[in-house]
Amino acid sequence: MKTKSWYLNRRELLKGGGIALALPLLNGMSLAASSKTHPKRMLVSYFSYGAYMPNGQHGIPNPEKPHNEWSWWPCRDAGPLTFNKSSVPFEPLKEYVSYYRGLDHAGGWALGGHSSGDVFATGADMVGTQKTNSISIDQIAANAHGHQTRFASMVLGTEGGTGSYGRSKTLSHRGPGRPIPSMHKPQEIFNRLFKPYAGKGVEQVRAGLKREASILDLLMDQSRSLKNRLGHEDQGKVEEYLESIRSLEQRVERTSKWTHEPLPEIDTKGLNLEASHKDPKEYIRCMYDLVYLAFQTDTTRFASLMLESENSSQSELWNYATYVLGYKGATHDIAHKRPADYSGQWDRWRSEQHAYFLQRLKDTPEADGNMLDRTVVLWGSAHPHASHSPKNYPIHLAGGNKLGLKHGHLHSFEGDKKVPLANLFVSMLNAVDVPVKSFADSTGPMTEALA
Amino acid sequence: MRGIVSVRNLGFGLLLWLGATTTLAGEEFDRVVAPFFKAHCVKCHGPEKQKGKVTLHNVDSGLAAGKSLERWELILEVLESGEMPPEEEAERPDAAKVGAVTKWIETGLRKAVAQGGETLVAPQARRLTNFEYENTIRDLIGFRLKLTDNLPKDPEKPYHFNNTAEFMLLGPEQVDRYLENARKVMTSAIVDPEKPEVHTARREWLRHGLNRGMGLDEIGVWGNRRHSASGGMGLKSFPSTGEFVIRVQASAILPPGVKGAPLRLIMGQTLSGSTQRVEPVGSAYLDNSPDEPRVLEFRGRIENYPLTRGRMIRGNQQPDSRVITPQLLYDDGTLNDGNRNLTMPRIVINWIEFEAPVVDVWPPAHHRRILFDSPLRESDPQAYVREVIRRFASRAFRRSASEAEVNRFEQIYRLVLPELKTMESAMRETLAMVLISPQFLYHTVADGEVTNRQYELASRLSYFLWGSMPDKELMELAGQGGLDDPKVMEQQTRRLLADARSQDFVRNFTMQWMSLAKMKTVPINQQLFPRFLYYVSVGERRGTEQPYRPTIRDYMLEETTGFVGELIRRNAGVANVVDSEFAWLNQPLAAHYGVSGVEGNHFRAVPLKSEHRLGGLLTQGSILIGNGTGSAPHPIYRAVWLREAILGDDVADPPADVPALSDSAGGSAEKALTIKDLLAKHRQKESCRDCHARLDPWGIPFEHYNAIGKYQPLVPKEGARVSGFNLQTHGDLAGYADYLKTIYTERVDATARVPRGPEVNGMAGLKAFLKKDRRDEIAENLLRRLLSYSLGRDLTPRDRFAVDAMLQESATHEHRLLDMIVTICQSPLFKGTEGK
Repeated sequence: MKTKSWYLNRRELLKGGGIALALPLLNGMSLAASSKTHPKRMLVSYFSYGAYMPNGQHGIPNPEKPHNEWSWWPCRDAGPLTFNKSSVPFEPLKEYVSYYRGLDHAGGWALGGHSSGDVFATGADMVGTQKTNSISIDQIAANAHGHQTRFASMVLGTEGGTGSYGRSKTLSHRGPGRPIPSMHKPQEIFNRLFKPYAGKGVEQVRAGLKREASILDLLMDQSRSLKNRLGHEDQGKVEEYLESIRSLEQRVERTSKWTHEPLPEIDTKGLNLEASHKDPKEYIRCMYDLVYLAFQTDTTRFASLMLESENSSQSELWNYATYVLGYKGATHDIAHKRPADYSGQWDRWRSEQHAYFLQRLKDTPEADGNMLDRTVVLWGSAHPHASHSPKNYPIHLAGGNKLGLKHGHLHSFEGDKKVPLANLFVSMLNAVDVPVKSFADSTGPMTEALA
Repeated sequence: MRGIVSVRNLGFGLLLWLGATTTLAGEEFDRVVAPFFKAHCVKCHGPEKQKGKVTLHNVDSGLAAGKSLERWELILEVLESGEMPPEEEAERPDAAKVGAVTKWIETGLRKAVAQGGETLVAPQARRLTNFEYENTIRDLIGFRLKLTDNLPKDPEKPYHFNNTAEFMLLGPEQVDRYLENARKVMTSAIVDPEKPEVHTARREWLRHGLNRGMGLDEIGVWGNRRHSASGGMGLKSFPSTGEFVIRVQASAILPPGVKGAPLRLIMGQTLSGSTQRVEPVGSAYLDNSPDEPRVLEFRGRIENYPLTRGRMIRGNQQPDSRVITPQLLYDDGTLNDGNRNLTMPRIVINWIEFEAPVVDVWPPAHHRRILFDSPLRESDPQAYVREVIRRFASRAFRRSASEAEVNRFEQIYRLVLPELKTMESAMRETLAMVLISPQFLYHTVADGEVTNRQYELASRLSYFLWGSMPDKELMELAGQGGLDDPKVMEQQTRRLLADARSQDFVRNFTMQWMSLAKMKTVPINQQLFPRFLYYVSVGERRGTEQPYRPTIRDYMLEETTGFVGELIRRNAGVANVVDSEFAWLNQPLAAHYGVSGVEGNHFRAVPLKSEHRLGGLLTQGSILIGNGTGSAPHPIYRAVWLREAILGDDVADPPADVPALSDSAGGSAEKALTIKDLLAKHRQKESCRDCHARLDPWGIPFEHYNAIGKYQPLVPKEGARVSGFNLQTHGDLAGYADYLKTIYTERVDATARVPRGPEVNGMAGLKAFLKKDRRDEIAENLLRRLLSYSLGRDLTPRDRFAVDAMLQESATHEHRLLDMIVTICQSPLFKGTEGK
């Protein structure tokens, strides 16, 4: 096939992939660096199959016993953090991290351990009141502030796509029934983020976009007339379609406006876009690096990263523990067999990669502090090891110290102190200037997180 | 489906006032119904206890006004079936008293439905499922393109069909992907006028190396020599789109007694890579000797096959590549206890040829179907363009395109033509826009203007039975208004079911009906079943499923969907769902189940004997594995499956804080075997017992079937470890079999008294009971599921009487499956004339 020049351009530009553009684009708003205030960013990241929490029911350490040195929880008791073998990679970041114990989404309870990973970033009640998932925390933030950057948000994973019900491979959802496919190929992510014109001239890109807009207009017209011929209930379904086309139109308009802004200069030193799953450390760090670069260049401010999905048996993630530790079995087996030697080491390996990312943010000065000061980073899973119980998630929050969050503690919400995990989400959103009062089943903000 | 003791269906927050009632129905309620509830129900479903989260002390006679129909339907059903009050209650009401109450409820329900209370609001407009989308494009352009991989996955929910409006939602990401797909489709469907370059490749293998066992042109069952034909042929040059043809000269070397060897060709990424994505090209059954080689020819679309992207090596971009690999899929159950390739069938491949695109006729037929030959093209290009759009859109929209629609797409054509220059390019873009229009993406709904009910009906029928668009015959019938004639409808239903496309329907329906997909992801315990999953070349190590080879698990899915298809084809009675005189098997699966005399990998009906302990769905591997733990049978999963999929109950989920019954997925062998103790745990707590007393007995009779779907009445002793085959320890496979006999020594008890039924002993007893006493229930369940699938919505209490009428009709045909489908298609509910 002879590829027409404009065809490629538009493909690149319109390709939704994991890069979702939020609505609405406010008219007359100057684009890059639109405000004098510094960007406020958020990353939601997820690891699967839980974490090692021996010595206690449901992953709550037994107060009678000394703390296990390989427990995912850094210390036994709530209070200032001390670190054990599993969590020690975070010791240099002590002032920037917190652990939350006893939190979970009630909406995930009936899904069972694995499937509750679906609602980690949404808190949706998928078994009860909702048949499909609902909007995720990163998309709420993107809807509010995504217009200030070239891409409203960035949705990454290690396996790509959306996955299916109970086996999600993305954390992000635009709303009910609208999962956003995650991107997992480093080169492709890099190109979409930083080389969106695929080597074409800006004028060419603009001409293609203009025609695109006219075509979408015509489609809108005739879809409206179809809608008007239908009964009331059916109109609602076609409205979903119209909204989608409208958002494509707005995306075209937005992309077109951003052609007036220069593309960011990227320092690709040390970035290995060829990294493969065969070398988990190289690959995972590359994904973290891409998030870092997107944040650092203010290409986007909101990202989700599914580090591992809860259904990785068809992918190389299944072999990660083998590649990394020489463990003889599937990565998932660790969660069930809980071998004392491998369980802790596997958790620690994951901690090292996450700490690497946090450290990179912390090492990058920004205004009166560093990037981590203005980046809220959630890291966790939807169950402890034991039986994949969907209660008491491992939850780790970092950064945002200059956004009103405080750190350095293990907080514990066992028994009658229990509050929904969604409370933490409310406070995370508030920290990045999204003034929501509630999220999913929240009962208020997470006061323990606030400075 | 219909619920019994379902938390979801019974609104527990529903507090109705207990006021004085003045209507006639209210008078009877006060006299008959309320005292009955008070005497027999409120003890467990009242202010003190709310078993199953159901309360009955606070119901009122509001039924007459059409309130809470679902709740009343459930009460009616548990009373009618005798499930409530529980049989263990000492004081049970007599039949007459129950009858009076059920009569009052049924009368009220009928009245409420007739009055249109709680009217139906399920929207009919819903997007095509990914499955329907891909099929529709196939029938529209004339060849299959793999498109769903690029779309967000459709939601799935166990025991639910996903083709409903509430599941089929649409967002910008979905439309984005539709747009990408639409352009890809049109790039494939419309070609450029000039003949393209043809890419060819050929590789030969010679009989070298016979002195060392197998020749280089041979493929064995276990392992092959380097550089032999088993490595296939690599391709470095191929077009990005077009039809390919692959020719293979092949034969088989067969040991005495073996009739043939199954050959399969795959193409895709190189098998030594980490992802190994491949797609099958075709299969053949070779029974010819190397003296009489056969030339086989396979065709397909090159776009559908995964490729390996060329890498940069020292600044040079390497070409993309694909590999064509021949596979020998022979499996008669013989295990590999050494390299015995020479005693097994072998395939000989002399050469493989590849050619693409096929250009014997240019432009190809699929192109001329869209850009048809016509003098208009030269004489009146505008009229020609309009006609191309009209024809294509009318097929894509499954009804005639309106003048306004043709106008809009013509505008798009004129908008893009200046830049795209050629008619082919501009038409690709224009028709791609047809494929992202709502008229294409959404199911056809009558709007009284451009779409009449006949076209809606034609589509409903074809999406039901083909999962795809109506063909020409259906469209013509719709155009003549002929589909309301029940005779025509019956004839069309039978015609569609006889077409090969109906296999898509059967597969899609069956997978969701029985929630089959999970069987592919149950982690099989390889310590206990070291031989089940793997394909191992030489030697004796445990292996995993290889994505490029079909395994017993894949065959099991084919067994179940093929079995249902065969029941429909035979117009078999519904009792066959529970027990049948045949099984749907191929050789590897027959070997797995211990059925002899089946040769070849194609599936066929195999007559059963009682010693096979097979027949019906209950003993099929897909169900037994999917509802096991991978280590052990799981009586509760199997009980839930039986009640949901076969009996049509809606089994409530367990409370979230209950620990899983068994933590055995991938767990150690000894832990996996203590299910009985774990079951006993349930009976300790009252809250568990209420539900499990009604559930567990259904699962016990399955206990003689193990976690890989085999009949196995003996299990290892508590705590016994089972080791895999080891050449040093066991010597040979016979030695391993002897070892297993010393381990599997304990007889499993599979006796249970089923709720409202007798004591049944094992599977045979359970099947006999179900066939005899629960046939009508099973028929109703199947009919409701087929109906729900065909309408693309859940059924509501409002459908109750329509279903009753269909059931009566179906009973006159002994609930034969094909007749049942005809009954559904002829029903007013399906035709959309209900209540009109």
